[in-house]
Amino acid sequence: MSAAPKPKRHRGRKRNIFPALCMLVTGMVLLFIGSAIFAIVAGGISHFGEAISSEEVLFSLRMSVTTSSISTVICLLLSLPTAYALSHVAFPGKRLAEILMELTLSLPYILLGFALLLIFSSPLGKALKEAGFAVVFSPAGIVFAQMIVNLPFAIRMMRTAFAGVNPRIEFVAQTLGAMPWDVFRTIIVPMCRNQIISAFVLTWARGMGEFGATLMLVGVTRMKTETLPGSIYLSISTGNTETAMATAMIMLLVSAFTLAVANVLDRPTGASRVGRAGKGLGLRRMRKCGECEGKR
Amino acid sequence: MRGKAMSGGSIEIRDMVARRGSFLLRVDELHIEPHEIFAIVGETGAGKTVLLEAIAGAFPLEAGSILLDGKDIRCLPVQQRRLGIVYQDHALFPHMTVAENIGYGLRMARVPKAEAARRVEEMLDLFSIRHIADRYPGIISGGEGQRAALARALVMQPEILLLDEPFSALDPTTKKRMYETLRDVHGRFRCTVVFVTHDFNEACCLGHRAGIILDGALQAVCPADELFTREFCPQVMAFLGRG
Repeated sequence: MSAAPKPKRHRGRKRNIFPALCMLVTGMVLLFIGSAIFAIVAGGISHFGEAISSEEVLFSLRMSVTTSSISTVICLLLSLPTAYALSHVAFPGKRLAEILMELTLSLPYILLGFALLLIFSSPLGKALKEAGFAVVFSPAGIVFAQMIVNLPFAIRMMRTAFAGVNPRIEFVAQTLGAMPWDVFRTIIVPMCRNQIISAFVLTWARGMGEFGATLMLVGVTRMKTETLPGSIYLSISTGNTETAMATAMIMLLVSAFTLAVANVLDRPTGASRVGRAGKGLGLRRMRKCGECEGKR
Repeated sequence: MRGKAMSGGSIEIRDMVARRGSFLLRVDELHIEPHEIFAIVGETGAGKTVLLEAIAGAFPLEAGSILLDGKDIRCLPVQQRRLGIVYQDHALFPHMTVAENIGYGLRMARVPKAEAARRVEEMLDLFSIRHIADRYPGIISGGEGQRAALARALVMQPEILLLDEPFSALDPTTKKRMYETLRDVHGRFRCTVVFVTHDFNEACCLGHRAGIILDGALQAVCPADELFTREFCPQVMAFLGRG
């Protein structure tokens, strides 16, 4: 009896170059961004205590947190219905609205800020100022700049989330008597809850870091329209690099926190429900079945 | 739960052309009687689900009309069509428990909470799914999901129940149990049932009549028990394996 031919070894694993490419890119990111972060931390850590207790840095932190929180809430309120309309409703001018949103996303922020400055320096802007709504060189302008920069981003994130909802689920809800507002309120929003919160957190983080449009519209006036990025800019302009690095460290901490929150929240709703329900009978039963399989 | 006294649930399709992307479905004439169980059989991609969704009014028709109890569905908002639909993937709301899924329609109809809870409990008992009432759809089995979706549709006492390949993903034992459940439900709720299947035996076993869809057109309608005895055009005979 002749020996059976030796089966050929499957070489698919060896040919898969994607993990290697991923590691290469990760290494590059670690080298460039990681080293920059390390430089900031190394240079700023000795001045961190001094910076965090400085009245100016605290003012800029408060200004950034307040303005980005307000602009994020406005962005959320405007982006929820807009994203729903763009993802679910056919209406005249929809394509134009989509193009405008994409265009705003692709424009340099400094250009957006300049456009806002032109608008609010026009007779219309002056009339608004006389009516008590001053935008140029005022904290309201910071909110406005952050909102204009972040709104298309928020809409895009929400739209992607809404588009991921199975249309059959929405149709079933309608057959059960739900009106479009009910479907939005009871099906779409709860199903996309994690993505909405994640969009909220990321929009807020972007608002915290917004600089280009803010600089054009309101400038950076010490202790008046000074945000965290503005504070770094002013510190560097005056040669105070250590304070700039310490302020940058605060921004890094804010970014790390938001990234962690967004990562925790940006999970599919179904999976998180499995987890929650799994605390009860369900998952225990599944584990039991797994044990049985093992015994067999 | 007793069946409703109302006697509705007729479906009439006239010269219908339905389009989904580049796919066209034509149905010249089809009349489904109230309380009938009608099976739609056909090859994969022939247009069975398109017909089911057209009856439900999920999208506007290219031409022709569909009448539910003599009323054109174009004049009836989807919320007022008194129909329930159960998809193959169940389309349960993943963020709600099974009990919340079943009670959703009652909540939308603003049924008082006590009455809604009573009706949900009745459905849980009827479909033997009380043990999964507090679970989310992500961790229930296919058969349980199917029963939950049926319970959710039937709690509103629809006149028409549309089922899209309801038993195709179930094992033979569960399938048989679900056949019994469907017969029981039909007897109890007295609703018209239209179900899509590609299993001829299922169509014969459950349906009063069957419609055969091939290549985007309704080719033939006959009593379900005559699927294997009646003469059809060569295309249908070939599909039935009798060519």
